[in-house]
Order: sequence, then C-alpha cells, then structure tokens
Amino acid sequence: MITLSQRLKRRNENDNTPVPRAPIRDRLLVKEAQEMSQLLPASCSVHYPNENDLSKFTLIVQPTEGYWEGGTFRFDINVTEEYNMVPPIVKCSTKLWHPNISESGDVCLSLLRRHSVDSMGWSPIRRLNDVVWGLHALFTDLLNFEDPLNVEAADQFRHSKEEFKLKVMEYVTSYAKE
Amino acid sequence: MFTKVAMADENDNERMDGDNQKLEKMFTLKKWNAVAMWSWDVECDTCAICRVQVMDACLRCQAESKKDSYGKQDCVVVWGECNHSFHYCCMSLWVKQNNRCPLCQQEWSIQRMGK
Repeated sequence: MITLSQRLKRRNENDNTPVPRAPIRDRLLVKEAQEMSQLLPASCSVHYPNENDLSKFTLIVQPTEGYWEGGTFRFDINVTEEYNMVPPIVKCSTKLWHPNISESGDVCLSLLRRHSVDSMGWSPIRRLNDVVWGLHALFTDLLNFEDPLNVEAADQFRHSKEEFKLKVMEYVTSYAKE
Repeated sequence: MFTKVAMADENDNERMDGDNQKLEKMFTLKKWNAVAMWSWDVECDTCAICRVQVMDACLRCQAESKKDSYGKQDCVVVWGECNHSFHYCCMSLWVKQNNRCPLCQQEWSIQRMGK
C-alpha cells in the first residue's frame, strides 16, 4: 500500500525547500474571521487589539446561565502561521475555577489538541467558528470532566455540586467581574 | 410525495387488521414519476483543507504562483481509499502530523491521483 507519508518521506529527502505558511493562514483568516463574527454565540464577543492583524484576538465569554453566570472570561487566541495545519493557541487570561481550565489559563478542549490519537483532536477542516463554539460550550453544556486539567475542581464537582458552585462564584466575584 | 402515499396505505392496513373490516383507501396512486440523479463518486468537490475547489489550484499554489522560482509541479488532486478528495499539496502537509483523512478519520491511503 502506498501511503502519502511514505511518498513524502522520499520526496523530502530531495526537496527541503521551506514553504511559507503565513499567506495561507491570512487568506483563510479573512473568510473565517467573517464567518466567526456572523455566527458568534449571543454570550460571546470578539476583540482585535490590532485591526490589521486577524491572527490575534480576544474572545470574551459572558455566560448567562450555568455555574459561571455573571462572569466575564477572556481567552487570548493566537492563530499561528502554520494554521490550519495546527490549531490556534488558546490561553484563558481570566482566573477561574473550572475542571477543564487550569488556574494558570491552560485550556483542555479536545478540538485544540494538536496531536490526538482519537478523532477528537484538531483537523484542518475545523474553523475558528468551531473553536469559539467549543470554548463557549465549556460554560454551558454538561461537561466531560473525565480528563480534567484542574483535578481538584473536577473532584469537587463530582463530590459536592454545592461546594463547587460556591467556589466558582467566589472566583467569579474576585477575578471575573468586568 | 411518494412516501406519503405509502404511509397512508400502511395505516389503512393496520386499521383493517384491527377492525376486520374494509375501509376505503384515503389515497390512491394514480400516477408516479421516477426521478434519477447522478453525481461523481467523490464525496466533495471542494478541498476541505484549503476550501478551494479541488479542480483549481490550492490556496497555497495560488499564493505562490507569482514567485514560481523553484520547479513546482502542478497542483493535483488526490483521492483516498475513503473516496474523499483533497489537493495533493494540502494533504501532504496534513499527513505529516496525522495520517488520517481529515473528514472521516480513517487511516489515509491514496487511491489515485490526477486531475
């Protein structure tokens, strides 16, 4: 069986020309940024620090229901030059109590995983819109806390929803008010 | 429309079984037209990776067309065993990190290449 990776291996031995990725990313971004802003969830907004650079923006999520209701959560999204072969880099800059987001801002979302053994990780058919809805879902849907980033928060969620809720509110009041 | 008629028939039969009496059919089929359609046996004609038609040059080749300094091959289409098609250029980049079809996640192997 001929696989593409074998062919590539052979080809790469003779051809090591570095190929610039940025123009591809920028072309994709023009379409995707527009699509994203048109389909944004009601509780989300997007801000570009530099209007001429579509690759860096902040997503602000303000949940209107659920545990994190009333908070304002900021995600810094960086679409690197290798996009869309790799997912954007997402960092949560608002401290919060969440099983899938560490207190230092790392986000655990299968979609954002660059290398994944299952079919849940990044795929170049994904778009910014999927990323935004994925992050939005971290505050709404029933979540899978099987593989948490914040183990303590996940344990608490499992054992006492009341305590969890209090801790979430405490964090919201201290860190996530506008 | 055809489905609707079939469903009505089914209901009638059920009623007949239950009540053991003949009811007039609500619908009778007087005329029907067979409709056929065809399409190429590939599932998509847009490359899901760069979102450009597979028959056109990929986004990457389009971007580089002006500075064609090194001998660049034509932008060809590649079909996987799963029948999904992409630009060869786009797919080559993707399989470097994950040898699966981005659309169906099956192990990627080439069925054929060409235009």
